[in-house]
Amino acid sequence: MKQNQFVYINNERWQIFENDCADFQNPLPVEFAKNYRRICNDLSIARTRHYSPSLIDKLNNFVRLGQGRLYQGEGFKLRSLLNLFRQTFIQSLHENRFYLWAALVSFWGLAIISYVWVIVEPNAVYLFLDIDSVKKLETMYDPAGSVQSESRGTDSDVLMFGIYIYNNIGIAFQMFGGGALFCVGALIPLLFNSFYFGAVTAHIVNLGYQDNFFSFVITHGSFELTAIIIAGAAGCKIGYSLLNPGQYSRGYAIKQAGKSVLPLIVGAFIMLVIAAVIEAFWSPLDIPSLFKYVTGAICWFYVLSVLYKGMRYGYN
Amino acid sequence: MKFQGLDNQIFLKLPEGVSINLIPAGITVRSCAYLYDFLIRTTIVAVVAFCFQLFGKAGVGLSLIVYFVIAWGYYIFFEAKDGRTPGKKKFKLKVVQDNGLPATLNHIIIRNLLRPADSFPFAYALGIITMACGKEFKRIGDWCGGTIVIYEENFVHTEIESGSEISAPEILLSTEEQQVIIAFAERSSTLSSQRQAELANILSKVLNVADESANEKLQQMARFYVGQDI
Repeated sequence: MKQNQFVYINNERWQIFENDCADFQNPLPVEFAKNYRRICNDLSIARTRHYSPSLIDKLNNFVRLGQGRLYQGEGFKLRSLLNLFRQTFIQSLHENRFYLWAALVSFWGLAIISYVWVIVEPNAVYLFLDIDSVKKLETMYDPAGSVQSESRGTDSDVLMFGIYIYNNIGIAFQMFGGGALFCVGALIPLLFNSFYFGAVTAHIVNLGYQDNFFSFVITHGSFELTAIIIAGAAGCKIGYSLLNPGQYSRGYAIKQAGKSVLPLIVGAFIMLVIAAVIEAFWSPLDIPSLFKYVTGAICWFYVLSVLYKGMRYGYN
Repeated sequence: MKFQGLDNQIFLKLPEGVSINLIPAGITVRSCAYLYDFLIRTTIVAVVAFCFQLFGKAGVGLSLIVYFVIAWGYYIFFEAKDGRTPGKKKFKLKVVQDNGLPATLNHIIIRNLLRPADSFPFAYALGIITMACGKEFKRIGDWCGGTIVIYEENFVHTEIESGSEISAPEILLSTEEQQVIIAFAERSSTLSSQRQAELANILSKVLNVADESANEKLQQMARFYVGQDI
């Protein structure tokens, strides 16, 4: 069959198909999938019969439009993000439990080491922090001239909320992305933060400000620290899949790793938002420490139980 | 399908049993799209920060949140919507999965959260190196998310001008040679008449005519091959 005859026979059908593809408002007509397969057939016929490049391009474009329309994504919806979290977060904890264990052990292990170190040798805090930041911390948690416990205005609460969102979630995302650089970008911030955290805690305890400090950090710490650890573990998995792709090619291994850790980073994001809300609006409240310890204990219990059950059994 | 030399097409096999060709977008055009997006993002953040500074401390907090949302969420929002940020739309680019299907939210999130790795140590240096290493121009985020950036429009529809003259060629040509002549006739609307004659002159010895009439002869042969007026 000559090309022009082929075009003449099918042209009407192609027109209808093109209109269906362009029409994003209405739902797809019932016979769309059938028409799409016929267009695919036309394209392969055109190729085997060596029709002109222009016609092949035209049909190629139809196929592309058709598959774009047929397999269209659902767009950006917060709900689908939430569903992803709800349906696959726990499962993903189980799937990546070894990375999570490694991250948990290294974070808390190094934090304890630096804590003990600074308790034994108080001047060691200056190895981790410069003098200015130490002074700032001291004034912050000083019970006498306290910045933290006096009732702050709502505006500075909102300011701190913005800082926590911007800073903490930014760090978590940086760790996740940086993890692709053979784990280095995830491990350095994770280990640095654990050292920093241990040293600061020990320094505050050395000064005797611990009640102020612990009542402030205990509640949001549950979500925040765990989320940072989860983000670090997720980043490490991506980097490790490049280092040791196993029986897959590196390109395929990193793709699979990305798919498997996506729920973790979404979960970490949600946990950090919760932590920022608590840290900005609950932790600085001027109420007896007992309330804060109780809510802190509840939060820790909840977070740890979800984490443990998820990692151990893969369901909630 | 065979690769055609200069144009960097990739052929993807579809489950429908046919392969389609896509043209992945290269470093330059993607950088342009990035700069365009960057300009938009900076403008939004600057305007918002300027408005919020009237509210004192709370305003600073709110503008930090807006900055965070735009820095991380801008790409995710627009690319998940239809695969195109405003910058990509301007340069006619689109993010799709590496099997050619539209990218879903999951692919887009991973692709964009890996930007820190690509921008290591500065100005997307590592991403550019990674892109230069492959035919599909994938940066690290594209590898991990399983996406590619393609040109949205690679289709320029040209038709052979219909004329009254059709001549059956006196010489027998192979299929590929016939295709070349058809492609020449289809492209001729984009060429000047001098250039057409110049190209047609290459065959003047075979056709026994030169210049304008060689061109005319080729056009007639092309019309014969595509089967005009049957």
